[in-house]
Amino acid sequence: MAQIGSFALLLALALSIYSFGVGLLALFFPGDPLWERLGETARRAGVVVFGGVFLAAVALVVAAFRNDFTIAYIFHHSNRDLPGRYKFATLWSGQEGSLLFWSLLLAGYGFVLRLRYKTDPRLFAYASVVLAGVQIFFLSLVNFAANPFGLLEGPLRADGSGLNPLLQYPEMVIHPPMLYLGYVGFTVPFAFALGALIMKYPGEKWIHITRRWTMVTWGFLTCGIFLGAHWAYAVLGWGGYWGWDPVENASLMPWLVGTAFLHSVMMQEKRGMLKVWNMWLVFFTFWLAIWGTFLTRSGMIASVHAFAQSAIGTWFAWFLGISFAAFLFFFIKNKDHLKSEHKLESLISRESSFLFNNLLFVLLCFTVAWGTWFPKISELVQGNKVTVGAPFYNRVAIPVALLLLILTAVGPLLAWRKTSFESLRRNFAWPTLGAAAVMAFLMITPPSWGGPFGLRPWQDISYFYSLMAIGLCVLVTLTIASEFYRGGKVISGHTGQGMFASLVQLTHRNTRRYGGYLVHFGVVVVIIGLAGAAFNQDKESEKGMDYGDKMTIGSYTLVCRSYTQDDGPNMASEWAVIDVYQGDKKIDTMNPVREFYKASQQASTKPDIRSSLKEDLYLVYEGQNEKGLPIIRAHLNPLVMWIWLGVIIILGGTALALIPNAPAPVRIAVPARRMEQAVPAVTGD
Amino acid sequence: MSFELACCLLATLAALFYIFFPGTFSVGRVKTRASYLRERKDVVYENLRDLNFEFKAGKMPESDYQSLKSSLQDEAATLLAEIARLETKADGPRKARS
Repeated sequence: MAQIGSFALLLALALSIYSFGVGLLALFFPGDPLWERLGETARRAGVVVFGGVFLAAVALVVAAFRNDFTIAYIFHHSNRDLPGRYKFATLWSGQEGSLLFWSLLLAGYGFVLRLRYKTDPRLFAYASVVLAGVQIFFLSLVNFAANPFGLLEGPLRADGSGLNPLLQYPEMVIHPPMLYLGYVGFTVPFAFALGALIMKYPGEKWIHITRRWTMVTWGFLTCGIFLGAHWAYAVLGWGGYWGWDPVENASLMPWLVGTAFLHSVMMQEKRGMLKVWNMWLVFFTFWLAIWGTFLTRSGMIASVHAFAQSAIGTWFAWFLGISFAAFLFFFIKNKDHLKSEHKLESLISRESSFLFNNLLFVLLCFTVAWGTWFPKISELVQGNKVTVGAPFYNRVAIPVALLLLILTAVGPLLAWRKTSFESLRRNFAWPTLGAAAVMAFLMITPPSWGGPFGLRPWQDISYFYSLMAIGLCVLVTLTIASEFYRGGKVISGHTGQGMFASLVQLTHRNTRRYGGYLVHFGVVVVIIGLAGAAFNQDKESEKGMDYGDKMTIGSYTLVCRSYTQDDGPNMASEWAVIDVYQGDKKIDTMNPVREFYKASQQASTKPDIRSSLKEDLYLVYEGQNEKGLPIIRAHLNPLVMWIWLGVIIILGGTALALIPNAPAPVRIAVPARRMEQAVPAVTGD
Repeated sequence: MSFELACCLLATLAALFYIFFPGTFSVGRVKTRASYLRERKDVVYENLRDLNFEFKAGKMPESDYQSLKSSLQDEAATLLAEIARLETKADGPRKARS
């Protein structure tokens, strides 16, 4: 397997170089039949790269299933008794494998791109060459710097070291692929953008072509980030889902800039504006995705994820530098091509709301980047490492998130170009009144009602934030509902259909817009879930829990029924059996567990979580005290399930936005008199 | 010959065959200014459709609607005029030749 894998990777690298070199030369000689044909061979070489990398990936997975411990990577990341799904996950559980996986996904995206070239062959040829350039980098890495097929030196070992226990969790089989599909996918919009910039592509068609790629990629990244958050919540046992860890931040940064791009790209499509800004956004989304990989793989930044420390950081640094220089060169050379067709006409317009939204996303990204790199910068400058914790990020992220929520509510209701006061009054009166009423209700209710009631914003800044978050969530929900209602009413008036059928038709007529609204609604639901963290409670049985011992948290009484141990081939485990009562009624039995993995000689804690829409009861087996009694830590986390529900809504909205629109039912014509008056604005072909 | 070597050889031959015997291929048309303008016209028409719908949905008063519609129609008319001019220019030499 090692021979086949190594060969396949070399073949893929050679074909990428061919695809890049010959493809580039073919673009230099447009119209020459020989070079046109060679350009076609370059495209086909790019297609075959996928075959090569796929073969290598299959070889690695087969080696894992065959327990081929002659391969160092398999020895370090698998063992004989590892369950099958984690053997499969070996492909991305270590540095070399995950870089191979990166290359595989990149080749996969390239494969689809190169097969769909007939949409616009010349633009696709440029994008293919850019993509081949990125492929050369990653395939060079896996061939020369981090080869997953390197053989183990010394005598053959009977068993492997095993997979990191934290990764032995079902979600880890899908979290990294989702995240990587997101990271890698941003290469495609970048390839099209750079291609369009180099060839001075006339018009915005390239954006239409890449829109689906960008949205799919964004969807994968969103899914990957939240799966990671859920994994942290369900496996790490600290009771939270987001800790502003550098590796988490690494995935957040391209997501933030990518989200900004998804919004501002509409300005370019609709109004031919923000071309320069969009070009930089798409570049930075790609660049930050690579930077994130660099961050996780180089070991430069301390992280709880601490995947690897190796010399490949230098490779990444060079690639980041070269890609930046190449982009800057073409940008400076061709920036005249990116002149806006229109100017901002009013500060109260859809355009300006997109502009502010973009600035906020970029500000947030800059804050996260600063917080992530500050410890390293301070170490370099002052010699001592300064830790940047959650308070730093929250200080900026919470107000910015609230401002973004305002824009989420306001943006869709503003007209393109300019919005009059009368329009504002029509669109905002009822949603604003509704939100204000909810906020007033929350302020005047007594705190004894529990949860978010009795929020007195003048008492504590966290109350102010919670109140604003809830009020703005109501505002966004009402504006979205009013958009659906008004649209549905128009269709219902025209067709005589019922409201539900009209709403379906409305959504089908503009999937992008209404899918977008659904995404916004999902964000609202996520924010409600995040706001629940302000009311978290936790308790710990410091003395341990013997049979029959009780602990109370919130409305729950926990009674220890027993504690026991088990021994399996892959791991040994010990757990407690806890009966959960509400009042006198037993409602559940929970089993927090601690596992000890034999191959890697590492322990892991797996909490047990009882989830409901209202709150999560989260129990952790902390270990045993000196008397051998289990120490149980209990957390009560309100509204956490809303976060995961919100993500499902976001992904549903993204999928909806990807469905093609139904044909427009109304033909549009320009009056003849305007045609007669019109003077060609631009002359020359 | 080992199994591994045979696999590698076979994969290489298949790849080379696919790459260097492409059969028919198309390089596609070069994008003209007229096709670019037609794309822009489609966008302006889509903007007009959106505007009409938003007006019918009661999101803006009549005066706002008329003003925005008028500017979009001007934009569309300018594009249509240029497309017509380019098409006449392209048809001219063709007719002259025939």
